[in-house]
Amino acid sequence: MRRRLVLTAAISALTLALTGCTGGGTDSGGGKGGQVEFLTGTAVDSPLYGQYQDLVKKFEADHSGVKVNLVPSSTDHEGDLKVRLASGNIPDIWMTHGWSLLRYGKFLMPLQNEPWAKDLAPALKPAMLGQGGELYAMPVDTDIAGLLYNADVLAEAGVKPDDIKTWDDFNRAAAAIKAKGKTPIYAAGKDQWPTGLFVDWIAPGVFSEAELKSMKEGTFAEGSYTKVLDTVGAFREAGLFNKDYSSATTDNVARALAEGKTGFSFLMNFVATSAFEYKKDARIGFMPVPTANGGEPYLISGEKNALGINKDTKHPKEAKELLAFLAQPENLTKLAKASGSAPGLTSAQSDLGGLQSSYDTYVKSGAVPTVPYFDRVYMPNGAWDTMVKTTDGVVTKQSTVADSVAKVKTDFTKLYAQAK
Amino acid sequence: MVDSGIDTAVRRSADATYRPTAGPRHRPRQGLVNVLYLPALALLAMFTAYPLVNGVGLSFTDWDGYSPGHHLVGLENYQRLLSDGTFRTVFVNTLVYALGSTVLQQVLGLGLALALDRPMRGRALLRAIIYLPVLVSPVIMGTIYYLLLQYDNGALNDIVVALGGEQQAWLSTTTGSVAIIVAVNTIQFVGLSMIIYLAGLQSIPTMYYEAARLDGASGWSLFRRITVPLLQPAFATSIVLNLIGGMKLFDVIKVLTGGGPGYSTNSVSTFIGLTYFNAQSAGYAAAMGVALFAVIMIMTLVLNAALNKRRLEA
Repeated sequence: MRRRLVLTAAISALTLALTGCTGGGTDSGGGKGGQVEFLTGTAVDSPLYGQYQDLVKKFEADHSGVKVNLVPSSTDHEGDLKVRLASGNIPDIWMTHGWSLLRYGKFLMPLQNEPWAKDLAPALKPAMLGQGGELYAMPVDTDIAGLLYNADVLAEAGVKPDDIKTWDDFNRAAAAIKAKGKTPIYAAGKDQWPTGLFVDWIAPGVFSEAELKSMKEGTFAEGSYTKVLDTVGAFREAGLFNKDYSSATTDNVARALAEGKTGFSFLMNFVATSAFEYKKDARIGFMPVPTANGGEPYLISGEKNALGINKDTKHPKEAKELLAFLAQPENLTKLAKASGSAPGLTSAQSDLGGLQSSYDTYVKSGAVPTVPYFDRVYMPNGAWDTMVKTTDGVVTKQSTVADSVAKVKTDFTKLYAQAK
Repeated sequence: MVDSGIDTAVRRSADATYRPTAGPRHRPRQGLVNVLYLPALALLAMFTAYPLVNGVGLSFTDWDGYSPGHHLVGLENYQRLLSDGTFRTVFVNTLVYALGSTVLQQVLGLGLALALDRPMRGRALLRAIIYLPVLVSPVIMGTIYYLLLQYDNGALNDIVVALGGEQQAWLSTTTGSVAIIVAVNTIQFVGLSMIIYLAGLQSIPTMYYEAARLDGASGWSLFRRITVPLLQPAFATSIVLNLIGGMKLFDVIKVLTGGGPGYSTNSVSTFIGLTYFNAQSAGYAAAMGVALFAVIMIMTLVLNAALNKRRLEA
């Protein structure tokens, strides 16, 4: 009797342990029971998620027996994804969030031979194509951004966006806006990540071609990085930031833009989409980013919502069919509109709503050069957080420019060595 | 003669050497008891021992947190800890959170326990209100205080403006933010200290106070000579629990300040998360985790030894 009890308890414990071990699983097929698991990387209440839901329903109706498990994003899509990758429990399709090539390329299936790949938007090619022309994701949209502005606030201060070519011009415009009692730059310190965009926006106009090349080869250009943070420090010294910087979120920025409380924002265009929800007829546009080295103002471009397929998925055919379905011009047009961006494939139509005028003026005309996101190309993988925190330190005066640059340099060197 | 149960009980209690007879109903089943530990041990092994051992192993690698491979780097991550100025900042913050919250919670918790140990109207309701935040998730607690303290539409600023003052950016400075985090953590867990001290106070026999009063003691001397010494076990429990909780503080910081401005309000726990997921240095993050574990363990052992010594002396 006693032996039987011991045996029963031991088996129970072992079963429990094994259940726990297999729960996370090493099933690299992602979705269960024939389902294609799709990590959308977008919030459940976003227009883009709603559009994904509609299109997936149609896809399932056209492909009997195929089920797609749409997964909305938590507040930390990248964190969730890294846990899934580390545990071997990899989804079938996921949103690569700007990193299809450099970070997730080794986990993804090459897609350059898919029929839609020939239509890749030119602005995405530098960031998404590998040296041998490899493409690891289907781009839903193209992230093209500049300085967001409220046209009414600028007009009230007598500022014309096209007159701002350098950071000196920008500082004069900001002073004029401040004199009218408005906040020149609204930034979201509570969310933190938007603060890193100051470097992404300013650096391309500060670093020389030779320095950019040396950064890619692992040599940190300390002098130019210092100039970038000096520019941010000068914004702070001139009192250009919103008073509630530390508690402000991107939603506060959208609201301030919509309500005409601020002149500029160094954020992506999705903030304008949110601003139009607060005030449909808000006069918001985006303009090229000024330069420091006398060069031509530019726009920032890069991968945004792009969808990659797990190279070891158990459903390669279904996953490819789903991407091909989403890539159809009428479907991609709807998705790009829902994300508030230009489409990632040239076959689809652009509908940017209130931002269409800026898009036509600067992007469609080809009048303004585009540069990639600085951190994605010239900083080692993993340096983003250091960029964010050190810039935040400068904005809040918690650290000096010299200390911030030293920290970035240390992490740059460490991460570059780690990547090698 | 029929033996009543009461008689038997009285006889047994009188016989100090009585032990249950070794019949089948009373035989101690130590083997079975040991077997019943197994599920708990399995869970402990799975969710505590394995991650701990795995974490220690990771701390000697350069793993980025998601890629399949990594390299052994020896003690490099631990050397980096010693020279990392940011880690020093967050470690000092952690000590401030732990010690600040612990001191405040003991003072306020004991004060509230003494006040609410006396018979008064509404005592049960007051105890419940003070204890209620313990039951709330720290994330919700942090969100409530964020909504209270935010610059635009924050309840506190609305009151300040209604009284004729100017809006304040309450979370814009390091000192202010650290103080607010300590205060929010204290408000949330002071009820726990209060309950522990109430339990301690109620376990002190009233005859000690009565005897002392007959000898002329009163007020402060009763508290110092009887209450404090006999509350030593409660002190030990409350201080150790609060200290460990403070050293591991995570949720409130994440929600209230996100660790900013800069890195300045991060605790070691939030910094581990940043280092692991955002900076992609899982090996270094694991080294921080091991260091935090070691510090908490040493603090707990030292504190327990000191408090036990005082208890024995008392």
